[in-house]
Amino acid sequence: MQIHASQLNSRPRVLVIDDSPDVHRLLSARLRSEDLDLIPAESGRAGLDIAEKDPPSVVLLDLDMPEMDGFEVLRRLKDSPTLNNIPVIVLSGLQSPHDKVTAFDLGALDYICKPFDLTELRVRIRAAVRLSNLLLMLSQRAQIDGLTGLYNRAHFDHRWREEVARARRKRRPLALAGIDCDHFKSINDNYGHPAGDAVLQGLAAIFQRACRETDLPCRYGGEEFFLIMPDTTPEQAMSVCERVRTMVQDVVWPRHPDHGLTVSIGLVGCSEVGAVDPQKWVEDTDKNLYAAKQQGRNCVVMTELPSGGVRLAEAG
Amino acid sequence: MTSGNSDNPIQSVYADDPDMADLVRLFVSELPDRIASFERAWRERRVEDLARLAHQLKGAGSGYGYPGITQAAAELERELRELSAPQGVADVRDELDTLLDVCRRAMKACG
Repeated sequence: MQIHASQLNSRPRVLVIDDSPDVHRLLSARLRSEDLDLIPAESGRAGLDIAEKDPPSVVLLDLDMPEMDGFEVLRRLKDSPTLNNIPVIVLSGLQSPHDKVTAFDLGALDYICKPFDLTELRVRIRAAVRLSNLLLMLSQRAQIDGLTGLYNRAHFDHRWREEVARARRKRRPLALAGIDCDHFKSINDNYGHPAGDAVLQGLAAIFQRACRETDLPCRYGGEEFFLIMPDTTPEQAMSVCERVRTMVQDVVWPRHPDHGLTVSIGLVGCSEVGAVDPQKWVEDTDKNLYAAKQQGRNCVVMTELPSGGVRLAEAG
Repeated sequence: MTSGNSDNPIQSVYADDPDMADLVRLFVSELPDRIASFERAWRERRVEDLARLAHQLKGAGSGYGYPGITQAAAELERELRELSAPQGVADVRDELDTLLDVCRRAMKACG
């Protein structure tokens, strides 16, 4: 599940999908005192479009609508990898057990029959918002490395594929760096694991300071990190990596002031991304990291992917 | 069941709810337009439009505190959905009258 900026706002957004303007009018009057933003959609199609652009915290969904009915909207929401965790409350005039069973089978969280009781509707929406907040918190925790606070490997794997696809679509530059702490084992061996942990946290802090706001440092595992640099040319990426390398080399570590540390960095950049395999890109980055180790560590080894080169291959 | 013959005014369930007073007034003030739309669609035998109008009123009525409107509109919608040809609209005149009558009684109470 992906986190969208809009979901981090404190005011929950409730998307109301109902073909009746009266329902929108009534709900906005009835829920005025609640701490919510109501977003109206007067058709299933319009509702899905809004949800895709800006996923809401909760969806209130009518079933009996012309063209795309609520069951179909529900099916599409639940089929979407980015929207399937949004709690959906069905708000419908259909009262048969069969309709209810179908809605719950399709993944509805709750079912309220019209005409609705106002107090009941309010508490049910509150319960759905609570659930949505918990899901959001869980998904954030699942993507963050507990020790360093950086994104973890699971987030990296998913995010890297996305960034490659985005750069390819927009024909933008993109760069990936693999960063490994040199002789990290000697810290653990000489000063104990807490000192090793402090180094990893210190490195994470340096990455965040050396990087621009758009860069994404991730902890891949052990003492290996990946740095995704969207919209970054190979030259710019090289200067970011050099900044990281020199910052690390200059640090005086409180627990072992006489024992400095360095990082080796493998970098693969591309000025205009074409059809490339994200996994292959990661492997090339690893190869360059290995080459940096071979060349004596504390250095950056970079290669460039040909600009959109593979597009030609595709065309041929 | 609302009686089609009575012409007693009908008050909204929410008549005394300050949060709702304006909305109820707005809803009732739009009823004459809705009635006119029903009549026009019925004359022109637009079954689909009639069903849509009935469906909307069914969803709205209770929300504004008029369960009788919802009930009558649901009845009309059900009958319309069962019609096989536009010529059949004559068969739903009773249900339509019942609905329009409830609407007029709601207008009377607000007028």
